[in-house]
Amino acid sequence: MFDIAKTEWLKMKNYRAFWWVMGITAFTYPGINYMALYGYQNLTEQRKQAGKFVKMIIGNPFSFPEAWHSVAYFSSLFIFIPAIVIIMLITNEYNFKTNRQNVIDGWSRRDFMTGKLIDVIILSGLVTLFYALVAFALGVSNTDDPLASKWDQIYYIGLFALQSFSQLSLAFLTGFLVRKSFIALAIFSFYFIIAEPITVKVLKFKYHSEIGQFFPREISDRLLPPPEFFSKFGPEAYKAALAQVQYHVYYTIALVALTWLFCFWMNDRRDL
Amino acid sequence: MVRTIARKGLSSVPKTHPLSVLSLQNISKSYGKIRALSNLSFDVPEGSVFGVLGPNGSGKTTLLSIVLDVLKADGGGFRWFGEPGTPGQRKKIGSLLETPNFYHYLSAINNLKITQSISGRGGLNDIDDVLRKVNLYDRRNSRFNSYSLGMKQRLAIAAALLGDPGVLVLDEPTNGLDPVGIAEIRELMLELNRKGHTIIMASHLLDEVEKVCTHVAILKKGTLITTGNVDDVLVDEDIVEISAPGLDALLALMKNWGAAQKVSLKDNRVYLVFPKGTARPEEINRYCFSQGIVLDHLLIKKQRLEARFFELTSN
Repeated sequence: MFDIAKTEWLKMKNYRAFWWVMGITAFTYPGINYMALYGYQNLTEQRKQAGKFVKMIIGNPFSFPEAWHSVAYFSSLFIFIPAIVIIMLITNEYNFKTNRQNVIDGWSRRDFMTGKLIDVIILSGLVTLFYALVAFALGVSNTDDPLASKWDQIYYIGLFALQSFSQLSLAFLTGFLVRKSFIALAIFSFYFIIAEPITVKVLKFKYHSEIGQFFPREISDRLLPPPEFFSKFGPEAYKAALAQVQYHVYYTIALVALTWLFCFWMNDRRDL
Repeated sequence: MVRTIARKGLSSVPKTHPLSVLSLQNISKSYGKIRALSNLSFDVPEGSVFGVLGPNGSGKTTLLSIVLDVLKADGGGFRWFGEPGTPGQRKKIGSLLETPNFYHYLSAINNLKITQSISGRGGLNDIDDVLRKVNLYDRRNSRFNSYSLGMKQRLAIAAALLGDPGVLVLDEPTNGLDPVGIAEIRELMLELNRKGHTIIMASHLLDEVEKVCTHVAILKKGTLITTGNVDDVLVDEDIVEISAPGLDALLALMKNWGAAQKVSLKDNRVYLVFPKGTARPEEINRYCFSQGIVLDHLLIKKQRLEARFFELTSN
């Protein structure tokens, strides 16, 4: 396992696109969260009664412990950025035919897929690290209450990691099946940003069906519901969304397991 | 020059090879309705340079892809060193399959580090050595996508040579190389063979197989036509071309004489086929004259290996 991880690192460490995307991610996470913070401050600093009411009821969503949740939600909106690297890392192998060469040089097909699984784990770990650093920094700089617990909602790190791993696994699956980088990127982006969100909303609001919660992206999206101040459907809907999280942890784990079992099985069967 | 080297190479290879490095048993493979390989069976003796020879589309690359586990055979099996194929065995085999497959954004050195990391063959110093051996050392830090076709091919050969593996599988190893490069690679193969390495090489170049290989398997449309020692399979023949007024009488005379292996009439010439080095034109002339036929044309020529190859692989 260590040798496989080492080999994957040799492939990644001199891949400029990898560092570019990591750089963009490192820039995007604080950027989007500061924008949200700015929006919240604008709202609450208004002299209107509503702004004061919001501040009084829900407090600062970027102070501890809510910072872990709020930053996780906003950061998760940009999962498609690391997804680009994941898709490139697998489609590169087909484009360069190095998936064949790795096997010719002595890896089993399972070793090859294990390497890709490690890539997804590494990327998920890195984006989780970025998120955690931003959440901690924002939490520290926005918490006035000395009694506020920094670690109350630390479990959002786990939820963010699981969501990232699940959605990057879906990105991997797209690249694995499509094999062509630009087509895979187009399909993934279209599905993730347009097709599934619209379908889920249409099913929910037009047909009053909750079946959308079992769609590939939505399963893990519901691990990180919108923070209360951002929620459009009131406190009851927010509480209901939080109550659903535990179930979606199981659904997400099942989806991730199925995704990777399928990839390993398929890679064992097909010609390279 | 190369032929001389080839002879040196051949001389050190024992005539009999008791051990099989690779053994194929009834390998079959289809792509949809197209039958790429049909019940292919042969053995590759240890210490040989084994050529898999055939025209384009004969199944050479498919065959090598199966023994390297890139493709799954529909039927049959193979054994490396007497054992069913495993990743561990492939680590000990230096391979170049079809095209040089490397990460385009990495340098030669970084690509070979990946080869080394996967196969466990050689160390970092060996990477420099193999790059020197294929004349790529000066460009070792250049990205793969900046290489010419010939340089890419040489890098693929360097990767196969890494760690000095005892067995090499090379698919069209001289593809894309210039004449000097081709000669260098052929010489390298012969040198490795002299040191006891076994080389399995696919090629559609008869000349290459003749110069480098000790053994050959000839494929046509996925079927094994023949296999064995190169000298036995691709044996040269002497062909004598004669003519005289009254071709029918000449043809009948030669057939009755029985000295030639084969007698045929084509383009107003009678063709006589003799085993390599046994044609005696003066004897033919004397015999014809003694039988009252005066030859007006007599030409001895060797059958080109290409002709033999076409003969073997034609429909």
